[in-house]
Amino acid sequence: MASSFWKGVVGVGLFALAHAAFSAAQHRSYMRLTEKENETLPIDIVLQTLLSFVITCYGIVNISGEFKDMDASSELKNKTFDTLRNHPSFYLFNHRGRVLFRPPEQEPSIPSAQALPSNPLRLRKLENYH
Amino acid sequence: MSSISELYDVCWEEMRDKLRKWREENYRNSEQIVDVGEELINEHASKLGDDVWIIYEQVMIAALDCSRDDLAWSCLQELKRQFPDSHRVKRLAGMRLEALERYEDANKLYDSILQDDPTNTVTRKRKISILQAQGKSSEAIRELNEYLEQFVGDQEAWHELSELYINEHDYAKAAFCLEELMMTNPHNHLYCEQYAEVKYTQGGLENLELARKYFAQALKLNNRNMRALFGLYMSASHIAASPKVSAKVKKDNVKYAAWATSQISRAYQVRGTQECTLGVFPVRLEDSCHTLLMEPPLL
Repeated sequence: MASSFWKGVVGVGLFALAHAAFSAAQHRSYMRLTEKENETLPIDIVLQTLLSFVITCYGIVNISGEFKDMDASSELKNKTFDTLRNHPSFYLFNHRGRVLFRPPEQEPSIPSAQALPSNPLRLRKLENYH
Repeated sequence: MSSISELYDVCWEEMRDKLRKWREENYRNSEQIVDVGEELINEHASKLGDDVWIIYEQVMIAALDCSRDDLAWSCLQELKRQFPDSHRVKRLAGMRLEALERYEDANKLYDSILQDDPTNTVTRKRKISILQAQGKSSEAIRELNEYLEQFVGDQEAWHELSELYINEHDYAKAAFCLEELMMTNPHNHLYCEQYAEVKYTQGGLENLELARKYFAQALKLNNRNMRALFGLYMSASHIAASPKVSAKVKKDNVKYAAWATSQISRAYQVRGTQECTLGVFPVRLEDSCHTLLMEPPLL
């Protein structure tokens, strides 16, 4: 799976960084022991530090999900009023859905009951729930 | 009866992700939510982990929309069992009472929540919704205004207030609410467009000019907004047709209206050819829309 590969990359990078740090500390103590304090850090340790840093950064970027566009308006391009107008905290329930979807057995003996069986919505609901 | 997962060949993770998308983007497709959510709850509740409670809440509200009181009651019972003293669950119980039109009981429940926790904004909003459901729109407006004086940053409430004002035909105040929204969301083309529509409805020369400018702004933010393009055309034509304008203004507006007309017909043409060349549909839409609407003339 791709993400475990990148997790492996991050792991390798962090390990190499820790290894470079440890090597630099060892080099420092070696310098202190041999009293050659003016020698700079060997170039391979420096290179290893920089390289492992770059690898870790690149690995993290690939783990961390989708990038969003910088342009704030571009992610709104597909938004419509269909969803913008819905305010969940203000939802009302006294709409025709309460009557349209009412289960058939709750129907009292309304005079217009003969009209109901021919209502296509009601028929569809009967098919779905039986 | 075939289940959703058989009908559409989706697994439970996809169903859960769909529900999350609907929840986050405020879709109110309650029938679908009830179908998908009911199946998720009945068959895959153990795999959902802690997500199951928010899905119960979402399905309960959708069930109230679809008059599935049995399902709503069972969701509420599960939530009450898990969170016995929660204000959020009490609010859901109140919503169920509202759906059953027992408004006094719902009001008493909300008042008890507010006694415990006076800062609970959602409960105050439910009380306002009760006033709206009972048809007392002027009281609802007054309560919502008081709420907004205390909680100025609540964008949902500003938008709701603007809708209430539009229903009362008080367009000046609706425009004020939409201005607040535009200030906090300058990149949202839909607020610009709705503001322009309110200004256009108010009528009068200054309002029409303002409407034209805000339609143009909405187009600048999103060049695919056809409604704003039509609005630009209509407001420019009305200004050009008005007897009180100078000749230069008339000429400019005729030019704007002509530009809008050409853009609209190009958009319809592109759309027409796309439906014949289905294979290249996504690519062409992107390409054409970028070249489609060049910078409008200086407005």
